[in-house]
Amino acid sequence: MKFNIDGLPIVFPYDRIYPEQYSYMCDLKRTLDAQGHGVLEMPSGTGKTVSLLSLIVSYQRHSPHPRKLIYCSRTVPEIEKALSELQRLMKYRISQAETPEERAKEEGFMGLGLTSRKNLCLHPEVSKEKKGKVVDARCRDLTNSAVCERGRADPGSVPLCDWHEKLGEKEPGNLIPPGIYTLAEVLQYGRDEGVCPYFTIRRMMPFVDVIIYSFHYLLDPKVAEQVSKEFSKDSIVVFDEAHNIDNVCLESLSIDLTRPMLDSAARSVVKLTEKIEEIKETDASKLQDEYAKLVEGLQETNNDGPDEDAFITNPVLPDDLLKEAVPGNIRKAEHFVAFLKRLVEYLKTRMRVLHVVAETPLSFLQHLKDITYIERRPLRFCAERLQSLVRTLELSKLDEHSALQKVASFATLVATYEKGFLLILEPFETETATVPNPIFHFTCLDPSLAIKPVFERFSSVVITSGTISPLDMYPKMLQFTPVIQESYPMTLTRNCFLPLVITRGSDQVAVSSRFEVRNDPAVVRNFGSILIEYSKIVPDGIVAFFPSYLYMESIVAAWNDMGILNEVWKNKLIFVETPDANETSIALENYRRACNNGRGAVMLSVARGKVSEGIDFDHNYGRAVIMFGVPYQYTQSRILRARLEYLRDAYRIRESEFLAFDAMRTAAQCVGRVLRGKTDWGLMVFADKRYARADKRAKLPRWMNQYITETASNLSTDMAIVLSKLFMRQISQNPNENQTGSRTRGRGTNASR
Amino acid sequence: MPPRRDAEFIVSDGSEPEDDDLDEDYVASRAARARKGKGKGKELAGDSRKAQDQSYAWEASYKRSWDTVQEDEAGSLQAAVQDLVARSKRRRLLGGDAPIRRTIIRHMMLLMDLSTAMLDRDMRPSRFDLTLSYAREFVGEWFDQNPLGQMGVVGMRNGVGERIGEMSGNPQEVLKCFADKTKLEPAGEPSLQNSIEMARASMSHLPTHSSREILILFGSLTTVDPGNIHDTVDACLRDQIRISIVSLSAEMKICRDMCERTGGVFGVALNEGHYKDLLFELVPPPAEKSSASHLAAKAAANESELMQMGFPTRLPSTAPPSLCVCHSRLRSEGYICPRCNSKVCDVPTDCDICGLMIVSSPHLARSYHHLFPAPAYKAIVELDGSEAPTCHGCSQPFPTAARDRNLVPEEGMSPFGRYRCPKCKHDFDAECDMFVHDVLHVCPGCG
Repeated sequence: MKFNIDGLPIVFPYDRIYPEQYSYMCDLKRTLDAQGHGVLEMPSGTGKTVSLLSLIVSYQRHSPHPRKLIYCSRTVPEIEKALSELQRLMKYRISQAETPEERAKEEGFMGLGLTSRKNLCLHPEVSKEKKGKVVDARCRDLTNSAVCERGRADPGSVPLCDWHEKLGEKEPGNLIPPGIYTLAEVLQYGRDEGVCPYFTIRRMMPFVDVIIYSFHYLLDPKVAEQVSKEFSKDSIVVFDEAHNIDNVCLESLSIDLTRPMLDSAARSVVKLTEKIEEIKETDASKLQDEYAKLVEGLQETNNDGPDEDAFITNPVLPDDLLKEAVPGNIRKAEHFVAFLKRLVEYLKTRMRVLHVVAETPLSFLQHLKDITYIERRPLRFCAERLQSLVRTLELSKLDEHSALQKVASFATLVATYEKGFLLILEPFETETATVPNPIFHFTCLDPSLAIKPVFERFSSVVITSGTISPLDMYPKMLQFTPVIQESYPMTLTRNCFLPLVITRGSDQVAVSSRFEVRNDPAVVRNFGSILIEYSKIVPDGIVAFFPSYLYMESIVAAWNDMGILNEVWKNKLIFVETPDANETSIALENYRRACNNGRGAVMLSVARGKVSEGIDFDHNYGRAVIMFGVPYQYTQSRILRARLEYLRDAYRIRESEFLAFDAMRTAAQCVGRVLRGKTDWGLMVFADKRYARADKRAKLPRWMNQYITETASNLSTDMAIVLSKLFMRQISQNPNENQTGSRTRGRGTNASR
Repeated sequence: MPPRRDAEFIVSDGSEPEDDDLDEDYVASRAARARKGKGKGKELAGDSRKAQDQSYAWEASYKRSWDTVQEDEAGSLQAAVQDLVARSKRRRLLGGDAPIRRTIIRHMMLLMDLSTAMLDRDMRPSRFDLTLSYAREFVGEWFDQNPLGQMGVVGMRNGVGERIGEMSGNPQEVLKCFADKTKLEPAGEPSLQNSIEMARASMSHLPTHSSREILILFGSLTTVDPGNIHDTVDACLRDQIRISIVSLSAEMKICRDMCERTGGVFGVALNEGHYKDLLFELVPPPAEKSSASHLAAKAAANESELMQMGFPTRLPSTAPPSLCVCHSRLRSEGYICPRCNSKVCDVPTDCDICGLMIVSSPHLARSYHHLFPAPAYKAIVELDGSEAPTCHGCSQPFPTAARDRNLVPEEGMSPFGRYRCPKCKHDFDAECDMFVHDVLHVCPGCG
């Protein structure tokens, strides 16, 4: 299908288009034309990705200076999905091309996805490693420039990676024929040609039209510096599934240190010292060279090595990087190691404190100076200096030094930033614990810090997701001015989901997860009866979300005592999410199986957990989702409190406002798991009396809100059951005939299935 | 006769919120109340309350049918009501009449859910009682339409399949299964796999010319299976067993899959009337699966699958009493098997002595109507003045003027109430049209 938006010819790979897709594309185009930023919310499963790609590719094709598209998604499966959607689009575009030149042009279009070495490695031994970090380190051992040079000069002296070597034989910029490749296809290509898929992608990145990778490659300064620095200013950046983007930003600038990590760092320091001694005896000139270089300035050393050398890059954002020479007192390798040793010892002593400490970076530095005479300036160069030292010493097995790397990053960050950060030392894990297990949090409180360079560098940044209401919160938190800020309703030929708010049990006792009443037997029982009733009337899978692990544990224990679980067992199997990823994935697998063979299952999981974020419960895997309580964050957490305080002081966002926003976006995210397309259907049950309040509901995404009727917003359990039964009978009537929804089969999120 | 959807019982599709203002409906609802004569009194009392509020939850399932009804000039609703009834009747008749290969010798296992889910009272009086009474009606109708068919009954409860009635061609025997309600008391959970395996086992010996069908009346939303149910479905697919399911609650993935894969029908009942509709849609024999390879193989082997049947001699009631082979009772009436001369009480059946299939010729003829159905009558939309003034079937005069109403003309509805046979060009009224297609199966005009 071809059509025009304001003179821009669009090629859309399907015969029909939903109205919301059209207006989404119009708004997107306006954003791009204005060279500004945008926040767009469109429900998942309505073909958001395809509209986005189809518009942007058309835009690239139409403009004389194509702007590169940087598409960021959250998980590997999502990246893969976006890639196959792009592939489909390009296939369609090629088939629609009118002249041979156009056709050739379309065929020359390149799109690649990037993921970690662990997912892309072909080396027989390295790829067997389980931890991503170990794979990275071993890969670097085999591929860094020093090793390569030595290996090439004297074959056989050092092990090299054949796949990486093969790549060198190819013409740079033409490592892979043009086209769109999914990650699996790049892997296959690598296998066939005997080249390394990871470096193929990395080296092709300047030449492609579309690159799809995860948030971190753009937001985390440690990685972004290596991967994303070559992109030109007019690139179009899209963050998909961006409802948690503020948390990603915070994480990328926060560091937690623990006692074992410090111990390991201390060991690394000792090893470094030994190595330096050894080098001094064998090859003293090397250290001398390094010293000379450092005197001239560190920047040049940074630039000449190829990118894959970087063991640790500066964790600081590029704008804050100091462009000057490393201070004298850490230029000499021995001095630097001694400096590190002092720092680690200092941190260790800090950890011995048995009460909670919260301080600003400034006061920390002051204290550090008083005790150890470490100044702020050398501290700022810690990470870079360590990087240079590691390169000089040609260390291998770098993963062993990851703790030291963390400490160095910590030192650099703490000395660079004064505002928006806080140091919190928590000696005990929980309130009641008696054995100290200290954690030193260096937390970033301001999400706008990490994303600021992105907004500054790129002219168009689009933030989009199925659930990013209320929209005005994001510009406020991330400190940018959007050109377009829009939420789209969902066009449905049938009501394929039914949101219900249960405020009280059948006995008219209000249900709520408020702290004061959450363990009240009446509330627990009423929550239980909601689960029992729904397990009776909902076919196949039900997903139930709790606000926290702690609450889930206590309530499930109470249900067991009350015999509620036994009742549920009669109708469905019960699976529970645990913090352990392996256990959870086994539980999920069995849950799916139970949903497929008709036994039916209930998945008890936690809002903000793994299940609530990355797992789709489409079709029979989730016919109903029950949200027990409002998923507020744990407000006693010191980090959260510090963050709230900061938001209040810096951006005038009230604590309650932020908490409610955060809770509702999590709730929307959880219940949104159940609906992944227009053929899908499901119930969304909000079980808490607080959901009845209009101010809470107003924070839900518009497409969800528009279907919450007055009648359905204040129900007791029995009334909700009646409505649900009715809904399910109606929705079960012949879903596939004459429904516009049926068109979505094999498209959008379903396409890759 | 197949059941009809009760006009008041149609469930609203719920797509648009009912923001009806009761003041406007006042007259209509009073009229409707008079017609229905049952508890809608609260409507009037609650009009002020209702005006600002939406409809009550307990009303949600019922379409406010009186809103769609319009009075004619005389203030009568009769015409409108007749129209609605006629519409709902016509709806079912619009099936195609293309020649389809159908199996007339049918074998069906009726699987009844007897789990605790059947005790739910969301269908009146309860799912279980309703299912029993509909099952009785269904069996009667089924044998009426498929005289050569055989049916067995399996119950699902406590995780096992219970054989309630053996495969039999005698409706009385099948009906006997449902006679004792206390024996069928629901308990425990159902097991689809166990029951299907049991049904499959009892049909495995059947010859290829007969159809094998499983009809499941399923109230539960779970199934407790000892093994992998997908294997069972595969086995059914191999044995060419067709599984159809009528669910009383909601769509389960496995149920829909099962039906789709084996070529059966899956339906979810909205309410009592719809349940019956779904059930009775399964009465006519299904079109034979057009697995091209299967048919081609048959054609290649020139194997037209002849089967032996015997037409028995019927003994009059005045004949000297003798023992029958089926019950060993002394009776005068009965049928004599043409091959072994033994006496059986009822046809159609398989002779207990020689195994010959004994049918009466009317039975065979009745079964044929599925293969050669009466053509669907066409609705007359415009008159050209040359039509017969009365119905060819019942001689009732047709209305001369089109019913003047602004109702949306629905496909297959004639404004004059005339329906014409495409072959013999005779006109029939709606009632006769129904009768011809549902009961007679032969067009009186053509014959």
